Amino acid sequence: MSGKPNLDRRGFLKGAAVAGGAGVAGEARAQATAPAVPKAAPPSAAQLASENDHPGEAEKLTEEKSGSDFMVDVCKTLNIDYMAACPGSTFRGLQESFINYGANKQPEWLTCMHEEVSVGMAHGYAKVAGKPMAAMVHGTVGTQHAAMAIYNAWCDRVPIILFTASAGPIEDRRPGVEWMHTVQDGAATVRDFTKWDDYPWSLQGFAESTVRAYQLATSQPQAPVLITADGKLQEMELSKAANAKLSIPKLNHPTQAAADPNALREAAKMLVAAENPVIFADRYARSQKGMDDLVRLAEALQAPVVDQQNRMNMPTTHYLCQSARGGALLAQSDCVLSLEPQDIYGQLNKMTDQLERKTGLKIRQTTKVINIGTHDLMVRANYQDFQRYSPADLSITADPEASMPWLIEAVLKEIGDRKPAFDARGQKMLQTYKGFAARARADAALTWNSTPISGARLFAELWEAVKNEDWAFTTPNNYSGNWQHRLWPMEKHYQYIGSSGGSGVGYEPVAALGASLAHKDAGGRLPISIIGDGNFNMAPHVMWTAAHHRIPMLAIIQNNRAYHQEVMHIQRMANRHNRNVQSAVIGTTMTDPNVNYAKLAESYGAVGIGPITDPNDLGAALKKGVAAVKAGQPVLIDAVMQPRG
Amino acid sequence: MNIGKIALAALAFFAMPAASSWAADAANGKKHFDNDGCWQCHGYGGQGALLTGPQISRTKLTFDQFLHQLRHPASAMAPYEEAIMPDATASDIYAYLEAMPEPPQAKDLPLLYVTKSK
Repeated sequence: MSGKPNLDRRGFLKGAAVAGGAGVAGEARAQATAPAVPKAAPPSAAQLASENDHPGEAEKLTEEKSGSDFMVDVCKTLNIDYMAACPGSTFRGLQESFINYGANKQPEWLTCMHEEVSVGMAHGYAKVAGKPMAAMVHGTVGTQHAAMAIYNAWCDRVPIILFTASAGPIEDRRPGVEWMHTVQDGAATVRDFTKWDDYPWSLQGFAESTVRAYQLATSQPQAPVLITADGKLQEMELSKAANAKLSIPKLNHPTQAAADPNALREAAKMLVAAENPVIFADRYARSQKGMDDLVRLAEALQAPVVDQQNRMNMPTTHYLCQSARGGALLAQSDCVLSLEPQDIYGQLNKMTDQLERKTGLKIRQTTKVINIGTHDLMVRANYQDFQRYSPADLSITADPEASMPWLIEAVLKEIGDRKPAFDARGQKMLQTYKGFAARARADAALTWNSTPISGARLFAELWEAVKNEDWAFTTPNNYSGNWQHRLWPMEKHYQYIGSSGGSGVGYEPVAALGASLAHKDAGGRLPISIIGDGNFNMAPHVMWTAAHHRIPMLAIIQNNRAYHQEVMHIQRMANRHNRNVQSAVIGTTMTDPNVNYAKLAESYGAVGIGPITDPNDLGAALKKGVAAVKAGQPVLIDAVMQPRG
Repeated sequence: MNIGKIALAALAFFAMPAASSWAADAANGKKHFDNDGCWQCHGYGGQGALLTGPQISRTKLTFDQFLHQLRHPASAMAPYEEAIMPDATASDIYAYLEAMPEPPQAKDLPLLYVTKSK
């Protein structure tokens, strides 16, 4: 080829060394090896300026201690175990302080590949550990990435200690990116769905605001909080004298707000007088004690409990756990007690998704409604997660878990001669309960051999693989048919952590990652997640973070090769318009090509198994996966499954 | 319309196929079950799912009840009118649902009998 440039390799390298030799060492090397005139283009004016812009001899270039070191001191007083982050230069001072000055311990820095993972894993972690972890997100763009995960945690009333950063005053910002990643009010992006935020203007302010933020995040109703760490504060030198003037306030651990005793007495009278009371438990239990207390209340009243499964509220092995017939119980009830409801209107009313959206009561007009919750303590105007207004006969604003012992005491005082009637009611509940398992097994048998694999088959095979382990589910059961609640004995609070809160897609893999970390720290429980393929594709790199940080987790992909909820929505619109119902798969499915999730997991350093298409292969795959998780590895099993159930 | 035409119309009305009296084609019914969206809520095996739709395999509905549910759903089910699902197609789907194989008995599936061990 006549026009081929004469690129002698040695000469090219010499020229490149000179052209790129912005640093002193590089320049020295180039002079030693290339005394001849370089063939590369001469340096530009900017490069020359850069090379000649050496700091003066007297200019101080290093510092012993910085503001970010003090920020680490503050965080260490709060016993935060982990700080999850996708790297971002606005918090470079803090990150270096955490890993060097703070020795990368309490908190330990966790590397995530997206801010949604950092926040989402903190969401899942808090629900298992019972305390928050921290996440740090890059200024502006990181907060934007993190927003959906923060919204999920807000809707789910879960505490997260969030940090973001900003480059500081204009005279300290480098031109270009530092301006684009700086914002006057960094929290504005997420203020509608955080409980509190602050941009402290001093290190003392950082200390007080961070401790205050932690206290607020962990008080009921719990929620994420956000502190902006100013870039100049992070990187400013902190002299010994200045450091000595700073103080870190002690964290308050306030008691949670229990209910007005008079209101609880009134509630007890209504419940005892009722012939058909029913207890609805939504985001009620935060602990095993919360579960145990609910059992005590239910037994005192011999009243059925419907667990809405947004937390683990009621053991599935208890005969008063009657979640399987919540609709019938509501229709018959004369008194409903709703514990920490997120949507009491939706509990008591129905609405059809037809052209005309008809509404109707699920209860009788005369049914008394008692609600105990913290919903009204944290309502904002813009995002509509507060749901439709619904009247109650007795609305008690309080933390129901903190209030439960007093409610039980009030009920026991009121029972009097009602006990025989309660015992008779309990016997009926027991007889009904005995039929649940047989019904569940008959339903499960319907698709035992079906391909794609059914949810019932998956959970039956899964039980066989984990029945001798200390297992826990780290994802909700929205789309897998609720089979663990129908078939499995679930008795411990940590065995199920409920749903995403805000239904933002992508919660499942990230929450599973954080929850699995908490289960590891709790002594090595076996964490199980059932993750929809649409959900998983939002953050498949959770498998890398799990592998890198040695977090064992069993991730089973419920692979229906679609955003199936959306398939059904598009189908519904086509039906409504009497148009082609076969086109609902356009824009909603993930086929041609099919994603190979096992290979994807392997590429991130995890164990990948599958795709499993034959239900008869599932048992062996699960056993293999469980063995690998017990050996400390993150494992993904790709199960090609029915879209629902 | 003359008497002859009325009589013909009446004859045609009474000659309308009764429940599934078209030469129902279960294979064609399966094709439409899979392509027209039935499986989306009821599962590929018609087993149903808690949140989306009941079991319809080996349906206990008569064809008339089945057709009425398609045209005027009692629940939140999306309506299937004649324009997108002719009676003949509905009949084929009905035949497919009726012909679905009987599932195994739960008592023959030991894995369904979970017992606590820890």
